[in-house]
Amino acid sequence: MIRVISVCILILTGCFSWSQTIDNDLLEIKERLDVVNQFTADLEMTVDISFINMPQKHAEITYERGKDLKVNSEDFVLIPKRGLDLPLNEIFKYDFITVDRGMQERNGENYKMINIIPTDDRADFSIATLLLDTINKRISESRINTKKDGAYTVKMAYAKKDDILPSDVEVDFEVERMRLPLRYMGKEADVDKEKYRSKEVKTGKIYLKISNYKIDSKTAS
Amino acid sequence: MKELIWAETYKMFKQGKTYYALLAIFIIEIIVLFSAYYQGSSIIDILLDNLKQSFYFEGNLLNGNLLVYLILNTLWFHLPLILMIVISGMLTAEYKDNTIQSVMLQPVSKWKFLLSKYLVAIAFTLLTVFFLALSAMLFSYTIFGKGDLIVYLDTLNFFSNKEAFSRILWAFLCGTFSMIFFSVVSLTLAVIFKESTKTWIISALFLIISNMLLKVDFGNEILDRFLFFKLNDTWQYLFYYDIPWQLIYSNCLILLAYSIVSVAIGIFIFNKQDVG
Repeated sequence: MIRVISVCILILTGCFSWSQTIDNDLLEIKERLDVVNQFTADLEMTVDISFINMPQKHAEITYERGKDLKVNSEDFVLIPKRGLDLPLNEIFKYDFITVDRGMQERNGENYKMINIIPTDDRADFSIATLLLDTINKRISESRINTKKDGAYTVKMAYAKKDDILPSDVEVDFEVERMRLPLRYMGKEADVDKEKYRSKEVKTGKIYLKISNYKIDSKTAS
Repeated sequence: MKELIWAETYKMFKQGKTYYALLAIFIIEIIVLFSAYYQGSSIIDILLDNLKQSFYFEGNLLNGNLLVYLILNTLWFHLPLILMIVISGMLTAEYKDNTIQSVMLQPVSKWKFLLSKYLVAIAFTLLTVFFLALSAMLFSYTIFGKGDLIVYLDTLNFFSNKEAFSRILWAFLCGTFSMIFFSVVSLTLAVIFKESTKTWIISALFLIISNMLLKVDFGNEILDRFLFFKLNDTWQYLFYYDIPWQLIYSNCLILLAYSIVSVAIGIFIFNKQDVG
């Protein structure tokens, strides 16, 4: 009888500990990202939203752990609220669990897909899906469903094999189509009534080229 | 001909209403500038409202370029109105004071006399637009600084400071064709109506109708493309992200052709008229 109870306890404990486990590959990546304490870099930004025409913008970004990202530019720049959190602080800020979703193929490469589900109500996202590059120990893609700002996807490419911070970032996000009062309409501005009545949501993209990283690490990497 | 042009220029700058007109433009410009400054932030707020959810904004959009653009938008009605009053007065005053009879007693050909008035009217228009552009830019850039320009023309267009400045210069140049057209039309109306009040009223009516019909869709490609009142905001094309230069050139040439036709009609009628 004692043996049966012991086996049951062992199985239950095993199940419990499995459900609370954080993916090991993610932990390794987090460990690499945690080393980044502060960095500055040059940013080249291209906005691709159907109703916006904007020339390429240049800025300097300064990241400091625990603080908002600072963007300095001589031009007027649109800074995406999401997608510039390169060390993924927002995801790792509160407790979470992960669910392994198996391997996924992207551009001929295999990536491990995991879901991150926050276990703390203070987290501002409901679920995140990450594609992990388990060989180079870094994140290749993230799709984050936020509680307030809709969903967005961040695709990251890296300049060198051992880089932990990306050189090219593509941020896809949802943005409502513009609805302006008629008096702000310019010459021959088309007013598609149906379009303007509907709360049509468009997808916007921002392409970021990040270069000249100056990383201040906690430990030498 | 040279002497006639010189005499008309002298008369133009000798009369007090020329300076009143320039002062009026200057006062309107100051008022527009300050109302644009206060209106500017709410316009930017409305334009960027949809983007607030996804973006933070870094940089100042309420700058000299936006204010000059807003001045451009509002002054293209007030400016021709003042120009039309001053320029039609070049001839109606001659009828009123009977100086035209004295001039016609001299060995002066009628068409040369009127043509010199048209040429001085065009020169005055150019000078006024130059004065407007210079003062608008001087005030706006000195007080409100430089920066990117935001314009809504079906899409939200952003221009760098350098690009915005060059587009504003082209817009003033392009708008000048429209101003010249209104100026010569007012002189032609003065030939027809002779009396100043009547000419002013008809000129103002012409301007108001032109502005009203500007946005009307006639549903006919030729009318929508070539009627003169559809060409008067050609300068706005300079703020499309991809500038349709071909369309701008052709619109300016058509406006120039309308102006020449107006001059020709004026000279023809004046030649046929009995001045006495």
